[in-house]
Amino acid sequence: MNVITGTHTIESVAKELGIKKTSAINVISKLKKEGKVTVSGGGRQKRIYKISTTQQMKTNGFYDLVNKYSKEKLVPSFKHVIHGRYTIEQAIIDGIKIGDTRTMEATTYLFKKITNWKRLFNLAKKNKVETQVYNLYSKARKTMKCRRMPKRYEL
Amino acid sequence: MINTKDQEELFELVSKYLEADIECYALGGTAMMFYGYKNTTKDIDLLFQTTKEINTFIKAIKQLGYKERSIKGIYPEKRLKLKSKPIMFTRGDERFDLFLNNIFGFNINENIKERCYSRQDFIGTKELIIKILSKEDIILLKAITGREKDFEDIQTIIEQDKDINWDVIIDEAIIQRKHKEWILIDLEETMKQLKKITFLPSKLFKKIYAAEEKM
Repeated sequence: MNVITGTHTIESVAKELGIKKTSAINVISKLKKEGKVTVSGGGRQKRIYKISTTQQMKTNGFYDLVNKYSKEKLVPSFKHVIHGRYTIEQAIIDGIKIGDTRTMEATTYLFKKITNWKRLFNLAKKNKVETQVYNLYSKARKTMKCRRMPKRYEL
Repeated sequence: MINTKDQEELFELVSKYLEADIECYALGGTAMMFYGYKNTTKDIDLLFQTTKEINTFIKAIKQLGYKERSIKGIYPEKRLKLKSKPIMFTRGDERFDLFLNNIFGFNINENIKERCYSRQDFIGTKELIIKILSKEDIILLKAITGREKDFEDIQTIIEQDKDINWDVIIDEAIIQRKHKEWILIDLEETMKQLKKITFLPSKLFKKIYAAEEKM
């Protein structure tokens, strides 16, 4: 099979490889099974295929969680993959550990989704970031509607 | 030999036997598998930064039946004399090569940490965080070993990924030169061999020669 990489549509794959559109669909399908293609669009939008020579790693970590809940979206600075259970509380701690302003800003939105304050403060204690967690919580309370922290965890 | 799926399952299993959260760096074939450059590896190479972390990991794999063995015959004789040689654990075909602080004198500095490509969190009873080195750092580490297998691995990376920043590799080698005298010479030798199969501009070689002269 000819090697093709980059961002393509079915038509551009067909043109580049000099094959029919139906054959191009088959080529994409095979590459998809090998994990080398990510697709965006579909329905009314035209499908765009991002094709790489290596298997594309599916992420499900900090950046995916933050970008799901935060209004401020982040461009991942690394690929974060979780094998197991990753919680909102762990994501807040990771956000604080990454530490840049934009990441911190986006992390504040996660306070809206907190379910287990005990877990958050156990993690904060373990990572020695209790003050940063409290400061970020205070900021979140001022700027958005979010749940109140139980009094026993307040510094 | 271990494949990608088995490797991930093994890490998941190890995370269930850990007694504390630990963090380490994946090198060599292990890192290449996380990138998707290859599907199998002979050994799982990991680097730990503290004695506590490496001991926690060793305790967990010992519970899984891994036994320590000598590294004689696996690595070249001259490397066995170095302080920073790995500790090796095997169980059947699977092998762990565990390094502490550095890899035969090659240090994982802040630049390398920042360049890390991916982070894999294996959350079991405790958390095993594995950071994957960037492709440039994988190439540099493989370029300085002088083993035929490592050269083949570099070829595999270059064939699959055209977007390699050679300046990053050379700059890192220049930084590491303080601790590892032969690093620039080893890198230049590997690059000369690679020149036969890929395009490497002469300015890269000039950069190496200029740095070596300065030292």
